[in-house]
Amino acid sequence: MTDQNIIEISGVEKRFGTFTAVKDLNLTLKEGEFFSLLGPSGCGKTTALRMIAGFQDHDAGSIRIAGQDMAHIPANKRPANMVFQSYAIFPHLNVGDNVAFGLRKLGLSKADMKTRVAEALEMVELGGLQARKADELSGGQRQRVALARALVMRPKVLLLDEPLSALDKNLREAMQLEMRRLQQKLGITFVMVTHDQYEAMTMSDRIGVMFAGKLEQVDRPEVLYARPCNRRVASFIGGMNFLDARVTGDNGATVDVNLQGFGPLTIDVNPNAPARSPDLLAGIRPEQLEIGAQRPEGYDACLQGTVSDIAFYGESVHYYVRAAGVEQPISAAVPNYFHTVDHKRGDQVWLGVQNASVIDLGARDA
Amino acid sequence: MAGLLRTEAGKGLALSAPASLYVGLLVAAPLGILVAYSFWTQTYVEIDKTLTWANYLEAATDPLVRHLMLRSILIAGAVTAATVALAYPIAYFIAFRTQKKTLWLLLITIPFWSSYLLRVFSWKLILGFNGVLNSALISLGLIDEPLTFLLYNEFAVVLTLAHAWAPFAILPIYVSLQKIDRSLLEAATDLGCSKLERFVRVTLPLTVPGIIAASLIIFIPTVGDYVTPSLVGGSQGKMIANLIQVQFGPANNWPLGATLSLVAMASVGFAAILFAVLATALGRRIR
Repeated sequence: MTDQNIIEISGVEKRFGTFTAVKDLNLTLKEGEFFSLLGPSGCGKTTALRMIAGFQDHDAGSIRIAGQDMAHIPANKRPANMVFQSYAIFPHLNVGDNVAFGLRKLGLSKADMKTRVAEALEMVELGGLQARKADELSGGQRQRVALARALVMRPKVLLLDEPLSALDKNLREAMQLEMRRLQQKLGITFVMVTHDQYEAMTMSDRIGVMFAGKLEQVDRPEVLYARPCNRRVASFIGGMNFLDARVTGDNGATVDVNLQGFGPLTIDVNPNAPARSPDLLAGIRPEQLEIGAQRPEGYDACLQGTVSDIAFYGESVHYYVRAAGVEQPISAAVPNYFHTVDHKRGDQVWLGVQNASVIDLGARDA
Repeated sequence: MAGLLRTEAGKGLALSAPASLYVGLLVAAPLGILVAYSFWTQTYVEIDKTLTWANYLEAATDPLVRHLMLRSILIAGAVTAATVALAYPIAYFIAFRTQKKTLWLLLITIPFWSSYLLRVFSWKLILGFNGVLNSALISLGLIDEPLTFLLYNEFAVVLTLAHAWAPFAILPIYVSLQKIDRSLLEAATDLGCSKLERFVRVTLPLTVPGIIAASLIIFIPTVGDYVTPSLVGGSQGKMIANLIQVQFGPANNWPLGATLSLVAMASVGFAAILFAVLATALGRRIR
């Protein structure tokens, strides 16, 4: 990644009739960055990507790629290439001709074109498959051809629209690592649209979380996980218990709160959730809670409750605990290698939490 | 019987039986009779049933047969080319440029609501010596005397048939356009194609099957058409089917008529296969 800005989006808006698909989008991406737009379906992330690609005009604001305003530049003249969700492999062409499709416009010599196609296929580990017909490709191979076809153009920006959603889980995980490796090797800016939080977290340098046309938070995956800016972002990234907290004292960088069910705690103020009010929303990740049959030692606050449900995830077990004064069951995750932890439905258990594990999510209605 | 109907093969047979019977009685049997006739000879009032190649020899050597066969194929080719060329933009419009697809598809079938003969006669009224077109042009002062090249020639045949066949060409082309995944077009744009290049390199090759289907649907029956040429074709618009009709009618030479029919079928089949192979190969060359 360099310090050079490659994409600068400011105040971009897109309306379809009376519906505003994208509201006041502001985003600056660095050269060589892997950026993901994450959000539920219909949140406007694909529209945003299509505006960068040039398939959709924007109604307000400006989009600049490599310093150049894209306002009157059609999709076929933009220094960005796209990997489509359906891959859009030309069915009448073989693999080699699919990859060479865009190169034919560049007036290369036959030998140069052949070399570049071969290199691109090599890069996505499809070396030597030039003559393979489009309908003989597996899902994973189609994805690789789509990637090679876009990368062979040596774009400044590669746009990916849900590139892995059509693949099965194992293949998807393998491709995530492979695409990340490829991106780092080539140093091209990748902008990916996805609704899969794990995909976004494992691949991206930064993630932008969108809801209802609005970009709510842009941050590195670790920050997004540890300091989400509000309830929506917090619930979209990982699991989260939401509890009410009454502020009893303000110490500047920390606040004293009375946490629903748990009692008094002192928690860090979240710089990403500046909205403050006497009542704030607090979040606790399930894996940050200690669960035990006895009151756990050395925790800043504890709560007693009853196990209402148990969900086995393989690598971890989630216990749902009902406690007096808390409407929703609180979920606590225990790594599966603690075979010592084995509670049953209806068991009385204790939950323990540390000050640092409680996340300030700002005002309750933000 | 009930047991047989429960097996897959039995069900298949039962389902295809009515169609097989129908085709057998109305296509295979007459075709068989036609083949039989083609090897017989017409004596004055009777049919001589000794098998002979004489009719085929006559068909092969008669310059009139060759001339009419060639002209039929050329006219049918011209009709096909004109119809497909005119139908493609309409199909394209319906597939890509309008939301009211059903309405447009309904509109293009409207000519079928009147009889084919009436439509041919309408063209006579439009193109005739004192027809609509000539009267209009004269009253506008654009011409002094009626144009005579409008009717009773190959041009009139091509024009009339191109109009009559239009829906048969629009529909298959529309279907093949409709099937194109829109993201393929966006991918072509993304890879640098202008709209025209995108059409030539993606849309056109993907609609080759539709073009072939439309062409065959038009070409095959046009070669054998005899109503249109006899109504609007005049003497220079006559086609092979008119000669066949003469053999079965006034000339009363059924064996020769049968032979000419079979020769026409073989020629059409050959031309159609040649066309389909060539069009497919051409489509594959576009990269």
